[in-house]
Amino acid sequence: MADRQLGGARWYEAAVFYELLPRSFFDSNADGIGDFKGLTARLDYLEWLGVDCLWLLPFYPSPLRDGGYDVSDFMSVAPECGSVEDLAALVEDAHRRGIRIISDLVMNHTSDQHPWFAESRSSRDNRKADWYMWADDDQGYADVRVIFVDAEPSNWTFDVPRQQYYWHRFFHHQPDLNYDNPDVVEAMLGVVRFWLDIGLDGFRLDAAAYLSKKEGTTCENLPATHEMLKRIRREVDRHHADAVLLAEVNQWPSDVVDYFGDSDECHMAFHFPLMPRMFMAVRREQRFPITEILAQTPPIPEGCQWGIFLRNHDELTLEMVTEDDRDFMYAEYARDPRMRRNVGIRRRLATLVGNDRRVAELLHALLLSLPGAPVLYYGDEILMGDNIYLGDRDTVRTPMQWTPDRNGGFSTADFAQLYLPPLMDPVHGYQAVNVEAERRDSSSFLHWLKRMLQVRRQYPEFATGSLEVLSADNPSVLAYLRAPRSRSEAILGNGADRGVPTTDAAAADEEEGQGATVLCVHNLSRFAQPAQLSLARWGGATPVELLGRVPFPPVAETPYSLTLPPYGIYWFELRE
Amino acid sequence: MSSGRVPDFGPLVGAYLARQDWAQSALGSFGATSLPAQVVDVEVLRTEHPGMASVIVQCRDCTFHLVLGWRPVTVAPGVLGAQSDAVLGPGWDSTGEVLVYAALADSELVVRLLESVSGGGERAERGRVVQSLVSHASLVYDDRLFMKCYRVIEPRPRPEVEMVWRLDAAGFNHMLAPVGHWQRNGRDLALVREFVPGAVEGLALARTSLRDLLARADSTNNGAPFADVGLAGGDLGPEMRRLGETTARMHLALATAFGTEPLPRGGVGAAGGGGAVVASAVRVHGDYHLRRVMRTDSGWLVAGFGDDPLMGAAAGAASQGEGRFASPLEDVADLCCSLQIAAAEAVALQTRSTRAHAGVLAQGWLEHNIAAFVSGYMSMAGIERLIPGTRPDVDLALSVLRSARDSEGGSEGA
Repeated sequence: MADRQLGGARWYEAAVFYELLPRSFFDSNADGIGDFKGLTARLDYLEWLGVDCLWLLPFYPSPLRDGGYDVSDFMSVAPECGSVEDLAALVEDAHRRGIRIISDLVMNHTSDQHPWFAESRSSRDNRKADWYMWADDDQGYADVRVIFVDAEPSNWTFDVPRQQYYWHRFFHHQPDLNYDNPDVVEAMLGVVRFWLDIGLDGFRLDAAAYLSKKEGTTCENLPATHEMLKRIRREVDRHHADAVLLAEVNQWPSDVVDYFGDSDECHMAFHFPLMPRMFMAVRREQRFPITEILAQTPPIPEGCQWGIFLRNHDELTLEMVTEDDRDFMYAEYARDPRMRRNVGIRRRLATLVGNDRRVAELLHALLLSLPGAPVLYYGDEILMGDNIYLGDRDTVRTPMQWTPDRNGGFSTADFAQLYLPPLMDPVHGYQAVNVEAERRDSSSFLHWLKRMLQVRRQYPEFATGSLEVLSADNPSVLAYLRAPRSRSEAILGNGADRGVPTTDAAAADEEEGQGATVLCVHNLSRFAQPAQLSLARWGGATPVELLGRVPFPPVAETPYSLTLPPYGIYWFELRE
Repeated sequence: MSSGRVPDFGPLVGAYLARQDWAQSALGSFGATSLPAQVVDVEVLRTEHPGMASVIVQCRDCTFHLVLGWRPVTVAPGVLGAQSDAVLGPGWDSTGEVLVYAALADSELVVRLLESVSGGGERAERGRVVQSLVSHASLVYDDRLFMKCYRVIEPRPRPEVEMVWRLDAAGFNHMLAPVGHWQRNGRDLALVREFVPGAVEGLALARTSLRDLLARADSTNNGAPFADVGLAGGDLGPEMRRLGETTARMHLALATAFGTEPLPRGGVGAAGGGGAVVASAVRVHGDYHLRRVMRTDSGWLVAGFGDDPLMGAAAGAASQGEGRFASPLEDVADLCCSLQIAAAEAVALQTRSTRAHAGVLAQGWLEHNIAAFVSGYMSMAGIERLIPGTRPDVDLALSVLRSARDSEGGSEGA
């Protein structure tokens, strides 16, 4: 993968992201906690896998009461993760390999241990007295929902030192910053500049929808929030024109598109509602959960991209589904109450799909072929399991399983010293599931995924092409075309302007896929299924299967017939 | 190239009609080499080559509508390829000798026909014939529009045309919306409607759900009851609830479009009884089952007001009958019967050893989905104007209607 370069300003459109917790990835100094030096040591693996950008979960100093999203110092690195210098070295090495790095930026709130809050709560007239949202009672913003319903009875908490209530959208130990205060805005812009100067390639903007608050509203998606994000975008563009802002906004696509602005706000935003619907479609064995949400997804501005994912460090959120569908998801995927948290399911991909590799492949095929930049979650590439007996979302944050050796090769520290216990159960434990074994086994899921990433890279249409869902008479079959939006766009948009291959061999690969139309057919059923596809417009074209380069019978005017094995996947290039 | 003169179709149509299965079926006459056909009306749609005309032909007691095309004899065979059955024969226009043929065999004329029918308001890049039935041919344009081009012409307005336009006027948007209508001298010649790609028959969804559930059927004699097996992943309940809501919307729209009538004496159905739960009769769909409802990305569509392109060929014999006023619960009961038939068919596909347990599971599935469907139906605001009875009353009335259907031999569809 050494032939990859960092690409130009729109690299993120075609990138494959890989989300990881530095604390859980690899421990280089035997203290039981993953760190930057450990991550740097594992870049070989990530380069081999073929990911384009790492998304680091919070590594800032933190009391760790919310997985590091309770930051107590924005401009430093938690000592257990290393130092700012270690991070800079990681970035440099990653860039050399053609891999970018973005990190979480927690703008909405701080830890209650942050010096800003310590000063703010100390009196009502200090310099930072209104850096947070203070009130004499807890009656304000009555229309605002509580997000962490399992843990927090209210968005207000009384602070004894200041004898006032402070506002928090998340845990009570995470007071919200007050962005009506220009000093707070400047401080946060300073944080952005600091990390861009270190070399980071952008930020995943945590809880981006909640920055501004206004009485009488839901305090979500407010115009002032968009203004703040645009302000950050301008700052980013000034300091690092290639950097990306990825918004975490768990809302309907019609609301989320506002976060792209006129291509002047966030470069990317997560498409949250798609994720549970992929799981729903597989279990219902019909395509409508997916096609419905795709039909409700509006176009996005030029230069913007969705971030799509199967699983991440949080629970599988069910906020964006109907009550019926939520009940269905709980019944199918979280029968044990310990699997549920807030409005979601705290499980990893492998356990959600019952360790069925065919389903994992199907879901990843959808992830890699639907519009958007796929975001993989560390460990899912080897089908790591979870531990529902751990608290909160630590269930899905256990150490990466590298080898069958002690502590799964994650750390040589004593077991009792580990940040979180690695999995040791007979099915998902590190003795059975680990990178070493999967790399050695050429038919492993890991190798399959690596191959799929290679195929995806050859066809820019997967990243930026148009989407056309095809008519299929069988509801268990989901088929769609990914085609160049236009030949000129495809050429301009996917050449040197992107993070794409530049050597001769890679360029030949690229040329192969340039301007191609890709037909993706998926069987969502656990039984073999026939499909008849409306492909008359492509009459005469020959579908060439992308993994084996096998030509299939040419398309005629009549519906195109295919037979798919259980959870079967076909990706074709339509050659005219 | 143009001509003021069009070919003389009169000598050609008799032999052509005699070769057409659809014409033979309509006439009930088979085996003749020619039929006594008389051209009674011609509307020239295009004089430039390829030419096209809409031709009304009287043949015995049937009136047929033919859309005919023509091209120079040197060109036409290349266009028609192997479709020799489409050829009527040679003719003459002012440019010389031409070959006359069924226009639907010519892809260019298929596209031109849409322009003619819509008065130039609709254009398409591509059109194709997707279904050829006795009464009409169905064409789909760009997976966007659908045209029914009628072959057998009725002397009065077609009920489906009337139904579709009046439902549209009543604001019912759970069907393929009408886009255009071709009529001449009081005869309905074609109807153009939206086409929704990706639509799936309700029956296919029901079978998907049953497939998932019945895969758990146990071959031992102690298979768990439905309540213990639990709902399969392919639970159809939420979909049935939404379909119930759509069905109620349809009945409310039918009441708006066609008014209501006093319920005939004898109750909600032929079996009588339960009439007290229904306030009045509406014009019912009359052929309401799982092959007449389509799931799309925007929810359920009701098809089968006559026929629809979304339905497979096997569903082509849709009701063409007169509009009928009856209890709206008749449609509801028909759909319930359709679920029952789908369940029975799925059980029949099981092996002998699993069939007993599958039957138990399917019965649970049926009750669950009927309950969801009726709940959705009764939850629709305004339906109480048509169905003022309580839920137990409605359930009783439906059981009476379903029993009556059973004794009649079941619903046609599923």
